[in-house]
Amino acid sequence: MSDWEPKIVSFLCNWCSYGAADLAGVSRMEYPPNVRVVRIPCTGRMSPKFALAALREGADAVWVSG
Amino acid sequence: MSTYTDKIREIAQRLLKECRVEMVIGFRQGSMPMMNEPCFVRKPEEVDRLVWDSNCGINLANYLTNRKEKIGIVAKGCDSRNIVTHILENKVKREQLVIIGVPCQGMIDKRKIAASIQGEILAVSETGGQIKVKSAGGEKSFNKNEVLQQNCSVCVHRNPVIHDEMVAAPVAEQTDVDQYADVNAIEAMSTEERWEFFEKLLAPCIRCYACRNACPLCYCPTCFVDESKPQWVGKSQDPMDVRTFHFLRAFHCAGRCTDCGACERACPVGINMRLLTKKLNKDCLELYGWQAGLNLDSRPALDVYKANDPEDFIH
Amino acid sequence: MKNLLVTMGIDPDRLHFSWISSAESTKFVKVVNEITAKVKAIGPNQRFVKKEAKVA
Repeated sequence: MSDWEPKIVSFLCNWCSYGAADLAGVSRMEYPPNVRVVRIPCTGRMSPKFALAALREGADAVWVSG
Repeated sequence: MSTYTDKIREIAQRLLKECRVEMVIGFRQGSMPMMNEPCFVRKPEEVDRLVWDSNCGINLANYLTNRKEKIGIVAKGCDSRNIVTHILENKVKREQLVIIGVPCQGMIDKRKIAASIQGEILAVSETGGQIKVKSAGGEKSFNKNEVLQQNCSVCVHRNPVIHDEMVAAPVAEQTDVDQYADVNAIEAMSTEERWEFFEKLLAPCIRCYACRNACPLCYCPTCFVDESKPQWVGKSQDPMDVRTFHFLRAFHCAGRCTDCGACERACPVGINMRLLTKKLNKDCLELYGWQAGLNLDSRPALDVYKANDPEDFIH
Repeated sequence: MKNLLVTMGIDPDRLHFSWISSAESTKFVKVVNEITAKVKAIGPNQRFVKKEAKVA
């Protein structure tokens, strides 16, 4: 499994972390490509269902960020 | 116990005669011993159907959801806490209700009795703290404290928290019980052991949703298990589907569950799914100092933000 | 949420929460790095994964 790379499903708030991710991109910062971003309108939109659904579909981790 | 029955009938008759309520929700004798069933009484002359004994474990708050008429309801400690939760969640109005409080001394676990007798149970009677069971294989007597439902044996809210009428003087609350012994035992396990433990616990589940239907908290118009676009949880008995169902069911009850035991009681295969809700109850108590349904004035723990809410799980 | 998942036997490092303002791109990168490192350390997830039904 040496070439295994984790899949991290990230639920990012449109106004906070999604903005930060955008800024990181614009600033040409490097960060690992393992995060798969799902933009949510607000962290309040997050539901435990989403996290479970991600794990069910084979995600290795879930990250919620507001 | 029979004095409870008399008193309940008397109060129900008075309420119906004075037209203070349109209906009284209580218990009547079931068609089988130890299976008392909910009973809706609308006429004063019908109150003789109402009974009370140690087989009234169903949570009657379940029948209040979205009702519009005036209702008298018989409530034990846990029922009354669920009624409070219902009022807080705007599922019923306080003004609609006349709560007939019943100080409770615990309900019998019919599985414990069935496990230790031979043949079918034919009749059950109760005097003092003794339960007499007549079965095909003869007669046997039990000490009530030994055959209580597990949640009743560690219950610390036996008296109704709100009531308009009381059937009897409040009973002494238990103080020397360890409410969360079973949860602590699971917390002490390693990650692997816990996974295995729940694998075994949930293996017999047949996904009948009896636990959901018995639960007064489960009133969503469309339950997540019935949603199909997107489908959150498969409808099969695949262990992962079963686990997802139980996880989400428990999580929906976070900060609302009163550990009334209706879910476990309703389960045809005897799964103790209360372990999951109890873990959440314990967290609510430890993290927010919250116990569900104790009074009408405070909002539930997951309903309010406080500046001092614990947030050490956030990076 | 996390507590119950952990109770059911999920590794605590599989669920992360954080709070990042839209101006904190450096923190964003830092957190992504941390999380990736942690998840790499615990390996692929085997639990709560819905396996495709076996067709005979």
